[in-house]
Amino acid sequence: MIIKETKLDNITIVAPVGTLDASTASLLNENKVLSETSATVVLDLSQVDFLDSSGLGALVGIARKKREKKADMVLTSMNDNVRKVFEITQAFQLFDVYDDARSAAEHCRTKTASQ
Amino acid sequence: MKDSTITLCLPGNIRFTRLASLTASKTAELFLSSMKVSKGIDDFQHAFELSVSEAFTNAARYASPSSHPQPVTISFRFEEKQLTASITDSNPAFTIEPPVPDIENYPEGGYGLLLIRSLMDTVSCRRENNTNTITMSKQPEIH
Repeated sequence: MIIKETKLDNITIVAPVGTLDASTASLLNENKVLSETSATVVLDLSQVDFLDSSGLGALVGIARKKREKKADMVLTSMNDNVRKVFEITQAFQLFDVYDDARSAAEHCRTKTASQ
Repeated sequence: MKDSTITLCLPGNIRFTRLASLTASKTAELFLSSMKVSKGIDDFQHAFELSVSEAFTNAARYASPSSHPQPVTISFRFEEKQLTASITDSNPAFTIEPPVPDIENYPEGGYGLLLIRSLMDTVSCRRENNTNTITMSKQPEIH
């Protein structure tokens, strides 16, 4: 798995590419933007072809740490199989999810400006 | 194809998780190719891909010692109406009924069996000869 980073309206878009399972979840935790900064970020899942509970666990842990820092991680562009994992585990309760990165970035920008 | 069994033996290391899950997906595809299935193909493949990923991860995570992990065996049995996957390890005994994660507390684990139970028609677990085997079956929708 590789992790791409881009900027949209001053919001960092982090886009993992490939599979999010037990063998790759640690790479997300090692990503500085996701795990170390107090910036609100968009996680673009459009290029994640497979996610299991280990990948979900990594996302939940990162979201918890972001909120402890008064920041957030919002999700966008998940495919049907990734969406199914969120539905079964009820993980949608923990995340704001958007259809596309631009909408997600706009949400982050508004939220950051209001703080 | 009926009554065929495919067996894969992998080191109990999470590095091999994707090999296990992709094998499951492709085996499900092969099983479906022998049946008159017109819908739910992606869901059937994904159910095996995800469930085997979860079961293999669980087996590999507790395999010891980590430097020389015990092998994990994955078997797929082609039956008349269903595909069955079994994952066997030689780890200490485990429970089939872990608590359901309380999502509001941001749990980072505990979702694996919840996913397997949701996706598969039947799931069972047995302890035999110092091995653990989780067996899960699913029928495709036939039209």
